Formats: sequence, structure tokens, C-alpha cells
Amino acid sequence: METASPVGSFPSPYEVETPPGCEGWEELYPYYALFDDVRREVDEQRFWFWNSMHFPLPMPAFDAICIDTAYQSLGSWQNRVFAVPPAMGIDYRCLNGYIYISGNPVTDPERIAERAQHFQQRAGHYFEHWDELYGAWRTKMEALIAELEALEVPGLHELEPDEVAFGDQETSYCAVLDAYRRALRLSDLMWQNHFEFLLLGYGAYVTFAELCKAHLPDIPDQHIAQMVAGLDVTLFRPDAELRRLARLALDTGVDGAFVEGRTPAEIDEALAESESGREWLAELEAVKDPWFHMATGDGLYHYYGSWLDDPTIPYASLTGHIGALRAGEEIDRPTDHVATERDRLASEYGALLDDDARKGFDELLALSRTVFPYVEEHKFLCDYWFLTSWWNTIREFGGLLAEHGFLEDREDVFQLSRLEVYSALDELLLTWATGGQPRGPSYWPPIVAKRKELLERLAEWTPPPAVGAVPEAILDPALIMLWGVTTQRVHAWAQESDDGSELSGTPASPGVVEGVARVVRHVSEIGDVREGEILVCSITSPAWAPIFSKIQAAVTDIGGVMSHAAIVCREYALPAVVGTGRATSQISTGQRIRVDGSAGSVTLLE
Amino acid sequence: MSEPGHTRPLAALRRDDSPAFGGKSAALGELIAAEIPVAPGFALSTGAFRAFVREAGLDGKIAAELSRVAPGDVDSVVRASHAISEAMRFAPVPAPVRDEIARAYAELADEAGVREPPVAVRSSALGEDGEDATFAGQLESYLWVRGAEHVADAVRDCWVSLFGPPAIAYRAHVGQEEPAMGVAVQLMVDAQVSGVLFTCNPVSGDPSMVAVNASWGLGLAVVGGEVTPDDFLVSKVTGEVVRERIHVKDVEYVPDAGGNGAVRADVPEERRAIACLDGTALEALVEVGRRVERGFGAHQDVEWAIARDVGLPDGLFVLQARPVTGLPERAASPENVSAMARVMSMFGARDTEA
Repeated sequence: METASPVGSFPSPYEVETPPGCEGWEELYPYYALFDDVRREVDEQRFWFWNSMHFPLPMPAFDAICIDTAYQSLGSWQNRVFAVPPAMGIDYRCLNGYIYISGNPVTDPERIAERAQHFQQRAGHYFEHWDELYGAWRTKMEALIAELEALEVPGLHELEPDEVAFGDQETSYCAVLDAYRRALRLSDLMWQNHFEFLLLGYGAYVTFAELCKAHLPDIPDQHIAQMVAGLDVTLFRPDAELRRLARLALDTGVDGAFVEGRTPAEIDEALAESESGREWLAELEAVKDPWFHMATGDGLYHYYGSWLDDPTIPYASLTGHIGALRAGEEIDRPTDHVATERDRLASEYGALLDDDARKGFDELLALSRTVFPYVEEHKFLCDYWFLTSWWNTIREFGGLLAEHGFLEDREDVFQLSRLEVYSALDELLLTWATGGQPRGPSYWPPIVAKRKELLERLAEWTPPPAVGAVPEAILDPALIMLWGVTTQRVHAWAQESDDGSELSGTPASPGVVEGVARVVRHVSEIGDVREGEILVCSITSPAWAPIFSKIQAAVTDIGGVMSHAAIVCREYALPAVVGTGRATSQISTGQRIRVDGSAGSVTLLE
Repeated sequence: MSEPGHTRPLAALRRDDSPAFGGKSAALGELIAAEIPVAPGFALSTGAFRAFVREAGLDGKIAAELSRVAPGDVDSVVRASHAISEAMRFAPVPAPVRDEIARAYAELADEAGVREPPVAVRSSALGEDGEDATFAGQLESYLWVRGAEHVADAVRDCWVSLFGPPAIAYRAHVGQEEPAMGVAVQLMVDAQVSGVLFTCNPVSGDPSMVAVNASWGLGLAVVGGEVTPDDFLVSKVTGEVVRERIHVKDVEYVPDAGGNGAVRADVPEERRAIACLDGTALEALVEVGRRVERGFGAHQDVEWAIARDVGLPDGLFVLQARPVTGLPERAASPENVSAMARVMSMFGARDTEA
């Protein structure tokens, strides 16, 4: 534990000003999500950090469901199910559209001891029956996704269908409201599943990491990660499939269809002209389920669709892989390398330990490897597959509202909160049933327009990495495991507030490079990344994999050695520094920077 | 019974030869046996030293002077040192010993293919480089010595250093009696860069790291603390450089232009602030460190040099290796703690364990 007393400070959340033109941003969020005067005395003394890992951009009103429900679930498992001894759940507040979070510690030693007993029993049960429970979890998750994909949003017609009049089908107002409630319920269940194993999975990993550091004090964090992760990484599977398809395209001579600048539709058209092209397309079709459910971003915003929604990324990737193959490059090498390196590291580090330590090392490594597939797979199943499908379901409700003039466009549904959507649907169904004049078409569009403008302006603002009090120490296992927020990191943030020429973060992938920065704040900007640039972003998602073959290093605001940017950079042997807190706000596109992925530092050279 | 020969090739020595040839020579022999690159050379036995003392009739004088030394009394140490050193410096090296040195030196010259190759003449005292008493740094080495006569003189100078004030005070302190010394004579490595490596991180005790200190020229500058060396921490497991601190290195030791000895020189401006080792050199050093560790079964402190204009890995030579002393205590691994109990404790459930 760190003993150094905190140096530096963070701004009070109550003194952070509203950016010009953003007055009234509070109306996008629930009443309880704000730093209000009633709780000021307490909130000002708490440590709040910007959760840019999950919420790098201002939250649209509907997307806030991913905060509320996620923290209902995280808190339930951590605090009410497993009773993690020193920590309850995560509170959040919204500041100028950005999400700040803070843990609720348990401080009473008696209560901690009592919770420890429950924790041992309950968590022990999970670890003991991990494979069985995890198997059941997968089945549950797959059923949930199937239910979501089967969920239909009924249309509203002039007359109810015959089945209502002559059969026992329910009326449309019931069916629409029921479908909406079911959609919300499916989201609740997904988030419930999302966190079921998460803490325990990360906990096993962090325990292994601590043991390594006790015996091998200088071991780089990324070596620990490499020993655990790596063989059949679900999150790399989509890109691995693209590599396979790229090779197939060359082998069957259909690669000529992949011309830089062609749209996916144009490429498909060219392929459809030949027999072998059609065969290739059939193979692609087989890969799409499930691998094209990969998201283009980290999933928690409605605009991060899947590869199915926007095939630009996988097609660009295919074109890139084909080009590399034509140039004689071995595009599969990194994965093979990761696999052999994982086992080599484990056996070499293991051999350096004495017998007792070796036993703990072997056991915890095995446990970490057991739990690790969940850590990856929940991401693919929950954050990518489920969420991208779910946003599309919500879009259909938006389509219904737009059809009846309540919204100008179905996308506008995401500018209303989930309760406002319920309310709008309620009124739509009421007036559709009565044939009366709806208020919605004059009521909602101005609200939507105002909120869109607010979000655009809020996106220009750079949030401080943390607000409130500088904590003496971070003890909450969830903050440490899930966000990589450690005492050391927080103190570094507090001290860095003044000078921005050097940023420090977690060394995530070794190597030193100098180059030109490309700041990417939104997934839509990743097309701007040029060959040889250094990617600077809040957080990346594995769906960004294709641009990693272009860049020469990556720097992120938040994330630990197990974050996606870190994993992908190791895969591509690129230097990476993660968890800098403020890279996207301190660095501008075009600036020359030096990234030292071994030391964890980023230097702004101009 | 005939007197055994006073010289032996370094390659023929093993740890057991330490009483007869001194610790350093025996350790060099072990290094060669472990296929670690060591500059070729020969060892002179402690018997040669004893023959020298006996023939010069110095036994009584040395014993008498040493008997007057009071531990902790600096003046008595300096007086004894001065008296013994003066007497030794004017005593002749016995002819058979001198001849043997000349013959071994000539063989070394043949091996090197040079008529009078420069050599390093280094003390190899009893107990020196041993695992208990680290005697290092108190005895002399003579660098860049050429010609059989000069080698024999340097050998005598090494013997004299056995009675330097620090060495006398040290022996008085640890209670070691009857000093004797072997000498190692090795072909000189014309070091472009040299330094020390540890087969673990001596500060943290991490066994997966190799710690390297390096500076320009011969090793004197690093060992003598005259420069702040470049400092590297390299992973044995992956070879990646985990830490790198480059310092300004303004002096180096180079061979004297006159052909004898080494001199201190200013490092040219353009080399001062740059790293004196590159990735290839570090890789070669880590590899050698690992071999030394394997050969000796414990963490070693290794002096090394990289020869000018030779290239790697052929240009890398180990000058000596000795056990690392004073490592930090490693975190004791609690016995019989299950992986599960460790995970529980990570979540703060440590206090209620049965």
C-alpha cells in the first residue's frame, strides 16, 4: 500500500463551470445523477474520477441506461451477492455530460469481517464450480441473445389484424408496450449476466499479478498479462477470420475485387460476378454469424454498431490483409508468436521461483487461465453482440415514433431517456387508439434538437481526469481491477494538473517510438488515421484492430495492462502507454510525441 | 619430491585449485569450463609467492612486522605495510619462477600470434572472490603489461599489494593469517566498453532481471567509481530493456600510447552523453550472464569487457565472476496457502481465514 500523503489537488465538482452554450445540460440526465446542493458536503469530499474507459463522450439521454443498469448490476454482485469485504458498489454523477464515478468503501472492521465470511462462501462456490457455472452462463447468454433477436416491434395499422378480432391475439397497444418493457428487461438481464463473473475473474488475475510482483519485483505488467491471455482469444477471432478469408480470396483468385476505395457493396457486386467469388461470399456469410457481431466501438453508446451494421471496417481490413499477403508478408505470425511466447514466459518465470512460490505461481496461473475466457467472452457476448443488436431494437421503437411524427428520425429516439421513450410510446398508443390529436409531434422534436446541439457542444469540453478530494489510498478492489485506478496513478494525476509536457501511464507494451499523434475521440474518426501515426484515444476496442496495422504506437487516457489497446499493441508488437488520464486533452493531432512503452511515459516534443 | 610447476593454463583450473592458485584464477578456470568467454591466460601458483618469500629470506621479517600490527591502529598498519613492501620490492623473483613466467608468456604470445602481447596481471589471493569474504578491490591489477620481464615485475607488484595497508587492515579485521597469493596473467582485452553485470537486480532481488553498469574504455572507471555508468535493467526472459538510465561519462581508461599501462583520458564530447551499449551488446551480455548463473548455480557479479573492433558476440569477455552478496530478503512465500486463499485475501477476506 502507498504511504505517501497525497500531493496536488482536483477541482471541486461544484466549481467546474458549465461550458458556454451548454446551459441546461442537466435535463438530459436523471435527477439523482447530478452533483446537487443537498449532497454537496459529502460529494465534495469524495474522490470522483472520469470513467473515460466506458464513457469517453457526453452521454446521450437514452444511453445513460448503460450507466444506471450497469451500476445496479455491479453493485448487486459486489455488494449484495458476494459481499466483497471492503467495498460496496460504484456511485456515479454526471458533470457537463461526462460520467464521474466513486466507490463506496466499507470501513467498519466488524462489518468487513462479517462480509468476509459471506464472501468466502459465495465466491468460493463460484470458483469451485467455475466451469459448470460458466457453461450455464454461456447458455443463458446465448438464449438471451436469441430472445432479443426474436423480439419484434409490432406496427400500428388503421385496423387491428383479424387475429385480434377473430382470435386471441392481444391488441397492438398492449403488444407495443409489452415489447418495450421486454426490451428493457432484456437489457437488465444482460447487465446482470455481464457482471456475474467479472469481479471474480479479474480478482483471480490480480492475485496472480500480485504474487508475480512479490517474487519478481521488476516483472513488467505486460509479461503477467501475456502469461494469462493469448491462445484462442475470442476478441481477436473476428480479425483472425478476416485473415483467413483474405487468404482464401487470394487462393481462389477473387482478390481482384478488393480495390482500395471501393465500398463493401461494390466489392460484393464484383465478387458476385464469378462462381468462385460467389463461393467466397458464401464463406463470408458463414463467418458473419457470430463474428460480425463485433462492435465498431466499445459498445456502450448507441452509435457503435456492429460490423453487420457497418461493414466498412471489416472490408477495409480484408483489403489490407490481401495487400499484405500480396506483398509476401506473413499475416498470421503475431498470433502464433503470442501463443508460444505465453508458454515460454510462464515456464521461464516459473523456473526462477523457489518451490513454495512456484506452487502458488502455477496454481494461480492455472486459475487465471481458467477464468480468463469469461473476461474476454463477456465482452463479445454482452458488450458487442447483445448491445449492438439491442440498440437496433430500440431503433425500431424510434422508427415507430418517427412514423407517427413524434420524432423526425428514428435515431432521435436516443435523445430521450428510456423513461421518456416509454412516455412517448404511451402517448402515441393512447392517441393512436383514440384517434385524437397527439401532442408528441410538437413536443418532442424541439427537445431532441436542443439535446443534439448540447451534446455537440459538450463534446468540445475536456473533462478533468478527477474531481473532489485526492484520496490517500485506493483500496477498492473493483477500481483497481476494472479501471486500473491505483493510488499511484491517482496521485500522478493530481500532480500532473499543472505541467502537460510529460504524461505518465501504465507501460503496456514495450518499445520506444517518436512520431506524429492522431487524436481519435470518436470511432467515426478512425478512418482519418494515417500510416505511421501514433494513435491517441480515450480507449480502444478490439474492433479497431484493422488500424493497428497502420499505427506505430498507442496512447490511451484510461485502462490497465489488460485493456484492449494494451492487448492489441502487444499482439502487433507496438509500444503502448495506457491510463495516462489526459492524453486526448493534452495532445493534439499533428503534434510530435515520444512514446516509451517500457517506462510508461509520453513526452510532448513540441 | 619434486616441486610442482608454478604455472598452469587458466583453462586447466577448477574450483578445487583455489588453495593452490587463489580464488580468482580458479574462478576463471570454472568460467572457461562453463564455456563462458574468458581472455586466455595462465595462472601462477601461491607456491611461487612462497618460494619468492622463502628465497629472499623475508619470512621472519614479514612475521615480525605483522606481529606489531594492532587492529584498528592505522599507524601500525601503515608502518608494517611500508617496511614489508620496501623489502619485497628489492628482492629478486627466483630464477625458476621467472623462467616459468617467461615460458608461459611466450606460449600465450604464440596463441595470440603477437610477439609481445599486452596482458593484464591480476592478483588471485586466497579467499579472494570466495563466497564468504569479498576481498575485491583491495589488491592490485596491472593492465597493459608487455614483455616477459615486465610481466615478472608486475607479478611481484601484485605480491607487494598483498601487504598494502588496506589488505593488512582487512586481514587483521577478519583474523586471516599467513597470507599467500596467486596471480592470473591474461591477454589484454582492448575494451571499447566495459562494466559490471549482476545476474539479478541487486537492489530489488528480482531473479528475472540482469542489471548492467557500463562505461567507455577499460573497467577501471566503473569499478573505481570515477564515472556514473550507464545503467540498464534487462529482462532475462524476453531480453527487453526494462529500465535504461544514460549518464554523462566524461573519463575513460585507454592503453597508453607508449605501449605500457593504461591512462585516464577525456571521453570525446560526442560519446559522453550517448548510451555506450546498444541492443545487440545487451543481448550478448544477458546471454553471458545467464550462462554464468547456470554454471555457478547462484547469482553472480560479473566484470566484463567488449573489445574494440572485434564485433559481437566474439568481442565480449568475462573478466571475473563472484557471488552477489547482501541480496535483499525475498518475500517469504507463506507455506501451504492455497491459490483460493490468496484470491480471497485479494478481496480483503484475509482476516477470517481458519
